[in-house]
Amino acid sequence: MLAPIEKNRVGPEPLLPSPPLGERGACIRNSGLGLALRLGWRNLWRNPRRSLLTIGAVAVAFAVLILLVGLVEGIARQMVANGTRLMLGHLQIHDADYLPGRSLHDTLGGPEGTDLPALLAAVERAPGVRVAAPRVQGFGLLSTGPRSAGAQLVGLDPGREARVTTLLGALVEGRGLAGASPRSVLLGKTLAEELAARVGDEVAVVTQAADGTIGNELWRVAGLVQTGLGALDRSLALVAIGDLQALMGLAPSRIHEIAARLDDPEGAEAAAATLERSGALPAHARARSWRRLAPELVDYVALLRGSNWMTILIIGLFAAFGVLNTMLMAVFERTRELGVLASLGVRPRQVLGIVVAESACLAAVGLATGLGLGALGMTYLVRHGWDVTRWTEGITVAGVLFDPVMRAAWDWPGTARVAATLAGITVLAGLLPALRAARMKPVEALAAPVE
Amino acid sequence: MSRPGGRAAALALVLLLAGHLARAGAAPPAPDTDARAIVDRVDRLLRGESSEGELTMVVTTRRWNRTLTLKVWSQGTDKALIKVLAPAKEAGTATLKSGEDIWNYLPKIDRTIRVPTSMMMAAWMGSHFTNDDLVKDSRLVRDYEIAVASEGVHQSARVWEFLLTPRPEAAVVWGKIVLEVRRNDLMPTWARYYGDDGALKRTLTFGDYRVMGGRLVPATMTVVPADRPDEATVIRYASLRFDVILPPETFTLAALRR
Repeated sequence: MLAPIEKNRVGPEPLLPSPPLGERGACIRNSGLGLALRLGWRNLWRNPRRSLLTIGAVAVAFAVLILLVGLVEGIARQMVANGTRLMLGHLQIHDADYLPGRSLHDTLGGPEGTDLPALLAAVERAPGVRVAAPRVQGFGLLSTGPRSAGAQLVGLDPGREARVTTLLGALVEGRGLAGASPRSVLLGKTLAEELAARVGDEVAVVTQAADGTIGNELWRVAGLVQTGLGALDRSLALVAIGDLQALMGLAPSRIHEIAARLDDPEGAEAAAATLERSGALPAHARARSWRRLAPELVDYVALLRGSNWMTILIIGLFAAFGVLNTMLMAVFERTRELGVLASLGVRPRQVLGIVVAESACLAAVGLATGLGLGALGMTYLVRHGWDVTRWTEGITVAGVLFDPVMRAAWDWPGTARVAATLAGITVLAGLLPALRAARMKPVEALAAPVE
Repeated sequence: MSRPGGRAAALALVLLLAGHLARAGAAPPAPDTDARAIVDRVDRLLRGESSEGELTMVVTTRRWNRTLTLKVWSQGTDKALIKVLAPAKEAGTATLKSGEDIWNYLPKIDRTIRVPTSMMMAAWMGSHFTNDDLVKDSRLVRDYEIAVASEGVHQSARVWEFLLTPRPEAAVVWGKIVLEVRRNDLMPTWARYYGDDGALKRTLTFGDYRVMGGRLVPATMTVVPADRPDEATVIRYASLRFDVILPPETFTLAALRR
């Protein structure tokens, strides 16, 4: 299948300069890289079928990796979005002692509490902060007749909360807290089932109040929420902040938490630092970004991104072996031609350049094609996503609900790194045949059989 | 609800106390009584056939202090009823223990609530006792191996110090208990409760030994959690009667609300 080298000599553009070689040799030396590339490019198409196959392999490898990186980036962003918008927010402010014990006594500003409207306004003035919502939290026992269950009590400001998190939007039955009568409660769906409580029913709530007495009250179920996270659906009881403060014997100025939504989740670290420095927070208060509050989410996203590299390297190696094979073949079938080059005074380094240029051209065409293919796939995956509902339902990872429709997102730096890696591996794979070509002895090469 | 762990046991002890104090007081200590028999006797001291008593419970914490006046009825090891008499704001609040179950009655909302298993380690009435302390009916001699750790003199009284380690099959919350008992009258002076990790969890101190209901009993008990030495729950009996005749409906949900 190899073309005899004579064919090239009679071509319209001779591959090799003809004598007198004194001047032409100098010409090759002078024009260096440009000529090597031109020669490499033309050599590439001397066996179009073989080259196209290898180009195809590189292109498919790159396209697959683009989609992989895009999907992983999409999943990572989705998880961060899901993880922060349900309840966490991008930023939270607590008394320094509040976490992780969540003692009801550790309110912002200490036992005296804080000027809440002023504090919320100050937080919202911080750069990048869109809106802030106050919360009171506690644990209590809910009971309906003979059934009782422990619950995570969350007192919130319905208007503000709805702008910070989607918690109140998880309402699946009944009416929300906004405009509800005093002592209305939203229960997690599973919790309500455990209590056999329906919308409109009364539930007794018991907790330890701040003065050591038993706080107890009757709340009416105004609605049910279903977040998709089992742990929350099993435990959440949401009430207006004032109702929970009354139950727990906390003054209206005493809250445990402020959750804030930012313009950009990536700015959370900076916003938290700015807030802590600003002096707007009560003494002994701390602002923490979602990264600090949900380190398992951060770790998981890092793990996701990191695990890409395994795949990238494996697929890259496959592509590299394809290139290695092609270039070895190319060099082998041009043994005589290379011998002629060498005997004409072309230096080994120049021969090396020509062969490496050929694999570089191969990589470039392959990557360009792969980019096109990948972009095509990405366009679809960005717009429509990949629906895996068929295989999964309601999976939670790192405490975050996993969206069954995986939407890809362009990760340009990541894609560029993949392209660079593939190009590097490909050229590296071309280096071995190139070295072999450069080291060829003219006499032996010319003695090689012509096929 | 805060601070599980330490407090509750004391309450159980209170209940127990009532009963056995009486019985033990009567018997003169046999000089060669072995460790097991002595501990059994002390253990029974705190569990009567039946009892009726009034006591005050003073809870001191970093955040708040409160004093409750309680009335307690008990029968055997598995039935008890505790009602809050004062302060007025909490009067009528009541706890019923029946076997493994605990119900609380809250007069403000007029509801009886069964304490679920998950809340057993939560504080009882804001004290240093847990709900679990109320239901625990484990007998020391049944659940623990008992050995004399040392003999000596404490506050000019000769005492034994017993080391109690749980039997492998026993479902108990303590890693070990050390109990000091006076030799002359078999009155307990203190008990130290250790966790599975060997760390001290709480100390129970007995005092004010006096005859109540015809028996010598320690009228006060103080629980101090090891991790909060500045906090305590002190129980002081004002009156105590033993082997009282209690109508069978004493330990029912209906009685709880009354």
